[in-house]
Amino acid sequence: MGTIPIRAIKKPVAILIVRIALLLLLAAFAVLTSADLLLWLAIPGLPGLMTQLGLATLLSAFALLLITGLLLIGKLVVTACLDYFSTRQRLQRRLLFSQAKQEQFKQLFYFKKLQINYFNEVKRKRLLMADNRQQLQALSRAIDKDLLMIKPQLSKTTYLQLQQENTRYRNQQDIEALLTLQQKIATLV
Amino acid sequence: MITLKNRVLALLKLFHTIKDENLHWRTANQDQQAQLKHRRVLAEKTLEAELKKKSVQLTHEITLLRTKNETELAMFKTRCKQDIKDYKQYLAALDQLKHSIQASYTHLPEAVAFTIHHHAKHLLNQMWEAEDFENKMHHEIQLINFMTTVHEDARLHLEGASTEKLPERTLSLIQRK
Repeated sequence: MGTIPIRAIKKPVAILIVRIALLLLLAAFAVLTSADLLLWLAIPGLPGLMTQLGLATLLSAFALLLITGLLLIGKLVVTACLDYFSTRQRLQRRLLFSQAKQEQFKQLFYFKKLQINYFNEVKRKRLLMADNRQQLQALSRAIDKDLLMIKPQLSKTTYLQLQQENTRYRNQQDIEALLTLQQKIATLV
Repeated sequence: MITLKNRVLALLKLFHTIKDENLHWRTANQDQQAQLKHRRVLAEKTLEAELKKKSVQLTHEITLLRTKNETELAMFKTRCKQDIKDYKQYLAALDQLKHSIQASYTHLPEAVAFTIHHHAKHLLNQMWEAEDFENKMHHEIQLINFMTTVHEDARLHLEGASTEKLPERTLSLIQRK
């Protein structure tokens, strides 16, 4: 709210400076043109002086614009810096930081939960696999025993082949194949 | 030369007029300006206080959230550990089931015992992996029914009440699936 009067004063100053610079520019052109005119009229001495005057005016116009611009930029920088380190901005930044932290905690909680769930599932799967292996080994052992019992009735190649199949299925953990093998051996007797 | 002097004087006069006007404007609006400035400072102070309050509140909330999360995670971890323990016990119970049926039916082929055990394990896994409570309960009842049937078969055969060579009721329950 309080910036309105300040702007009302500051704005014409900037415009005034630009106007002065433009006037200087115009004056420089006028002086240079007059120098040209004097040269054309062949008046000795004066044209050189006029040219120098024109150039000085031109340079001063540019210098004025440049200095004003630099000053304005410097002022803007200082204002921005002051604003950045003002209490309000600092508090706002702290608030945003806290909010981000809160969000982070929420996400961390979610992912930690997910992680625990995952490891739990892995543990359970491992238990299941160990049990599966144990049961399969028991079944395989039983098949071996059956095979040994009917060994005299089988040819050596059949016996060896069945034994190999048993070992292979056990290593592959193929439940269906082992059950079929067991049935096959039962029908052989 | 006189005209130039007049021009310069006029310019100076104009400059002074502008200055005067500026001064007049300032005196006329001094109160308002002061009021505006005061209001601005006040608003800024209020905003700062509000921000500070919010910040403190948020910090407190974060501390609460942290504690809550930590306790919840600890609880969740314990529950998961208990879950694994339960699962282990279930597996042991199924193993026991297999042994008991094998002890009752001495000539039971290993394949049949394996199938019974495998089916029970399948039911257990279905129960464990069920998403909602209702489904879980349904599978649990199925598993308990199955285990009871197996035990019943084993008991009846051991007591000599049934002369079947195989636990027929259990096998029919498997075939029904």
